[in-house]
Amino acid sequence: MNHASVASNDGDAAAAPIRSALIHQTAGLAIPCDAVTPAATNKDVFAIFEAQPQTVGLPVVEDGCPIGLINRNIFMQSMARPFHREVFLGKSCIAFMDKAPLIVDKTTSIQDLSFQVLASGQKAMNDGFIVSDGGRYLGIGTAQDMLRAVSNLQAEKNRLVMESIDYASVIQQSLARPSREAMRKTLADHFMIWEPRDVVSGDFYYFDADADGFLLVLFDCTGHGVPGAFMTLIMSAFLRSALNSVGRDDPGGLIQAVNRQVKTAMGNIDHRHAATQDEGEGADDGMDAAFIRVDSRRRTLSYAGAHLPILLLRPDGEQVEVIDGDRHGVGYAATPMDQAWTNHQVELPEGSSVYCFTDGFVDQLGGDKRIAFGKRRTREGILRHRRQPMPEQRTALLAALQAYQGAEQRKDDVSAIGFRL
Amino acid sequence: MENLYIPATNETPEIDFRFKDHQLHMSGESYPENAMAFFAPIRASLNDYLSSAQPAAAVEAHFALKYFNSSSTKLIRSLIALMHDSAQAGKRIVTHWYHDPEDDMMLEFGQDLKDEFRMLDIRVVAMETA
Repeated sequence: MNHASVASNDGDAAAAPIRSALIHQTAGLAIPCDAVTPAATNKDVFAIFEAQPQTVGLPVVEDGCPIGLINRNIFMQSMARPFHREVFLGKSCIAFMDKAPLIVDKTTSIQDLSFQVLASGQKAMNDGFIVSDGGRYLGIGTAQDMLRAVSNLQAEKNRLVMESIDYASVIQQSLARPSREAMRKTLADHFMIWEPRDVVSGDFYYFDADADGFLLVLFDCTGHGVPGAFMTLIMSAFLRSALNSVGRDDPGGLIQAVNRQVKTAMGNIDHRHAATQDEGEGADDGMDAAFIRVDSRRRTLSYAGAHLPILLLRPDGEQVEVIDGDRHGVGYAATPMDQAWTNHQVELPEGSSVYCFTDGFVDQLGGDKRIAFGKRRTREGILRHRRQPMPEQRTALLAALQAYQGAEQRKDDVSAIGFRL
Repeated sequence: MENLYIPATNETPEIDFRFKDHQLHMSGESYPENAMAFFAPIRASLNDYLSSAQPAAAVEAHFALKYFNSSSTKLIRSLIALMHDSAQAGKRIVTHWYHDPEDDMMLEFGQDLKDEFRMLDIRVVAMETA
């Protein structure tokens, strides 16, 4: 009786077939290698291991059902002990088999399989696992093949998610294009920084010129990534609707109109005093924003802000002036439905520069102490490069942020606008 | 009332609310994707504590945060609001807001809290970070 021979074990790494198709179930990992029965002797097993140097685990099958797995190293070490060869060589191969190998049904998902392999500790990582079909022996699987299958599935899932987000980014950028082009046409010396942390951004902007001047809005919605980007689309729609009803000349009125619409549409009501168990349910999303209206002929700027200040540097100014907006964010539960925002008016002598940075810029952690980049560094950066054209200021500001950030991860979307009139 | 301890993670701060000693500490960074899920139970415990603690006990709160995202901002503010309401109702609460001497963002946030929650004793404290 010598069905102890192992047929076609193609399990060695060099000859492993490249599985281009994704494997979703354990069946796809089963290598149909021959098994031995308890009738096989240790001598038979020894012969197999010698003939098949790549075989690490040899399954033992009784009446078609797997009952154990013989590990090459354990077997060989046992046989090398004094007198073991003489005593055991003629005995049944079950003497040195692992009686509780990992046996996995062929319908098991690759994910479940990977958790079972991990739970088995080193055993299945070294010896592999037995694949069964309704309890009957089907083949043997290796941890290496399993890892490859997991990695392929992971890469595929990742690819699908990224493809989806990449296309979402195409949509988001299309929505920004008219504003971006109008900005280029209208503002001779300006820069725009729009750096999403995760492909799409929770920061967004709007720009629109007319005979009198222009309206510029920079806003920073709660969150980043996909949820943040959702919010920017919602806010853009509300902004357009507010422009129709309020017009461009009243930034505070525009914020007020957007606030009312967000709160109504998304049900962002104050649940601060509601029963605590309900709090997990309530959405509380909104935005920080700077609304800037410039009258180019009168050289005036009218600004209303929701927790997003603007910075002003006049041509003869020694310091960067900070114009703070109001504290209330737009659309949040804690912001009243009828909240009003203050309009601030400033003169813009020729050569004045105006900047606005979302908190992703000033809050970025870095430096030796891992503290925020901060407003002071931002103002200093502006002063240092004030004579340079805006695009060069952009490069310098980003370089300063990058240098400060160092190896620290980007924490949030980063956006900024600067223009000189 | 049982103390509340939540160890820090990469995205969430350490919460060390020793209700028995009336010492509340929060430190680290806070930028979980779902800040509400993290803060709702903390807020619930704080609320229980403030409404049940014996009126005589003076509470000390310490916030030593390095970074928080905008959704965490709202929820940290709402914890402060709870203490503010409680202080307004007569409870003795001292809140310390720590910031690195060079960290103007955290300093400003602390000052904003003082402006907003006037009935709560908020002390903005510059403290060198290790």
